[in-house]
Amino acid sequence: MKSLILTVISFLLILVVLNAGYYPTWFNSKPVKYWNDFLTEKDDTLDAAGIRKSRYGISYVISLSVKQAVESKHLSNPVILFEPNSYYRDSLHIYPNVKAPEPAVFYYYTGLEGVWTNSPDVGRANYLVRVTKKGVALEAIHNPAQLQQILAYYRKFTPIL
Amino acid sequence: MLLISYVLLVLYYLVAGYGVLTLFRLRLKTAYVITLSVLLGVAVASVVPFLMQLLFIPLTPVAVFGVLILAAAALNTPSILRIRREGFTAFRRSLKPPPFRLSPYEIPFLAIFAFFAIVSIWRCYYLPPTSRDALSGPEAIAEFAVREHSMINSFFNVDLSTTNNQFKSPYLISLQLICKMAGFPFGQIWLSPVFVSFTIFLYHALKEKLHPIVAGLLLLLFLMTPETYAYTFMILYDYSNMIFFFLSLWFLFGYFRNKVAAWFYFSGLLMGIATYIRSETVVLAFLFLPPILLALYREHMTAAKIALACLFFFLPSALGYYLPGPLYIGHYLPAHYDVGGLVNTDLSDWSPLFQRYSDMATRLIFSIFGVHLWGYIFFVAVGLLIVEFFVPGRYNRDARNWLYAIGVLYLGLGALGFVLPLIDLNDTTKREFFKMLPLLLLYLANNAALIRLSQWISRWEGDPVVIGRVSAKPAPGSAKSVGGSAKPAPAPAPNKGKPAPAPSKKRRRK
Repeated sequence: MKSLILTVISFLLILVVLNAGYYPTWFNSKPVKYWNDFLTEKDDTLDAAGIRKSRYGISYVISLSVKQAVESKHLSNPVILFEPNSYYRDSLHIYPNVKAPEPAVFYYYTGLEGVWTNSPDVGRANYLVRVTKKGVALEAIHNPAQLQQILAYYRKFTPIL
Repeated sequence: MLLISYVLLVLYYLVAGYGVLTLFRLRLKTAYVITLSVLLGVAVASVVPFLMQLLFIPLTPVAVFGVLILAAAALNTPSILRIRREGFTAFRRSLKPPPFRLSPYEIPFLAIFAFFAIVSIWRCYYLPPTSRDALSGPEAIAEFAVREHSMINSFFNVDLSTTNNQFKSPYLISLQLICKMAGFPFGQIWLSPVFVSFTIFLYHALKEKLHPIVAGLLLLLFLMTPETYAYTFMILYDYSNMIFFFLSLWFLFGYFRNKVAAWFYFSGLLMGIATYIRSETVVLAFLFLPPILLALYREHMTAAKIALACLFFFLPSALGYYLPGPLYIGHYLPAHYDVGGLVNTDLSDWSPLFQRYSDMATRLIFSIFGVHLWGYIFFVAVGLLIVEFFVPGRYNRDARNWLYAIGVLYLGLGALGFVLPLIDLNDTTKREFFKMLPLLLLYLANNAALIRLSQWISRWEGDPVVIGRVSAKPAPGSAKSVGGSAKPAPAPAPNKGKPAPAPSKKRRRK
């Protein structure tokens, strides 16, 4: 009988904790949500790339589309220049929904070399990823003068993560 | 097929870690042996590919798994010799776990712990690593190491000016590399055995002093720290660092009680692993020099012996700092990391230090932000710290040890943030705070008020109903054994509950 009482007390204590202060907000928005995710995820048929897409979001999708464009056009030694995220934030107002990956993460996603406008190696950039509200385009940078024009255009936008 | 890989990996951790544990000849409860073995096995696995890299051995799957198996075999040589000497039956008998015992009132807690564990294990397995610190460093290095058979790979040829994560410990790289080679594209699964083992360890450590209901409640508060729980399925350094730092102190404080030298040196090894995972831990390790010196002095050791003991204690930490830091970064990586350039240049102005201490309390702990990070565990701990003042037998030696650890950690983390401004409050210091949580739990396990409450419950309960086989005598270290006693429970040695004979003179420090 005493064990039964203690078992009931255990239940009650757990319920009290789960309903105290901030705990229910967190518990429902995280562990319980994750549990519901688990119930659907365990039956889905996504492969690793599909899971990455759903997990990493738009930044990964942009990176993959760049990779596909590079592969389909058989571009050799591409160095991809990304627009600054502050440009997406202050000019296009699409940040953080749309974000350019930092070069290290872009390499992890695609195996391609990327640079930001303030990168030490920005002079080697030969393609620009241009994001507009209509979509993403990979544009060739034909000569150093064109690159300088591009960099001058983005100069007032400091690259941010 | 993946399930087999998973089981084999966990089995590997268990066997390799068991080898390390047996080298120290510690007499521990079965639950501790198993959980520590898994944790140590993960540590072994995290070191092997890194050492191969230091020796320029190509990190091919055959080489990596071959060396891993050789390492496990080498570490288990004493056990293998024992099997040859005594026969496998005798060896198996020595490993026989005690009868399974479970009180009905533990079931609700175990159910909720299992819920947290399942969610965490699934996310480790199913989702790729997401933290920016992993993707822009160790995870990417591991990914290209699998393809290029070297940790020093093409990742270092790209623009890394936005990150310093490539300079962090090879701990994550090695573990990710092994899991990816074992067939898990996202790696990460090594974190689940770490999380589950540590949770079980903590539960048993708490139950040594407290009634299972109180222990379960404290562990629930720990699991429900939102920030820490997130790092049970998000690979980074801090969760593992927290575990080995805590375990090191657990064995160090155990040594202060039982004076078994092996506990002392094992504690040093664990601190070395913690330092290997996060290099700045070496600073925190040295903050425990005063109580160590005091403990050694009280044993009437000569100055030379004290110096030698300290040398052996801190040697693993020194190695854990030197190998992945000055040696690997300084002499192997193509890019170098000038830590000296990151040091605060105005160390004479102490106002940022006091500001940091103030911010740690007011912004990271006792604030809405703090509640969102840690739940209410800090509030509970402070409340019980005050309550304990009014309880007879307050602040016993063990409680004081853990309070010292908490204080030292707080001061140390603030000082680190002051000296290295790179250690910012809201990211690095916040994650370094993980280390505080198990220390809080163990302080609470020694809190006189909670011990009295445990005794009161045990007395009221009388002979508990037990599910499973009941041994003839209850474990002497359990809260049950103090039932009926009017005095607060004495601080039992952490290896109580195991029929351990007194340590032999060989193992005892003179």
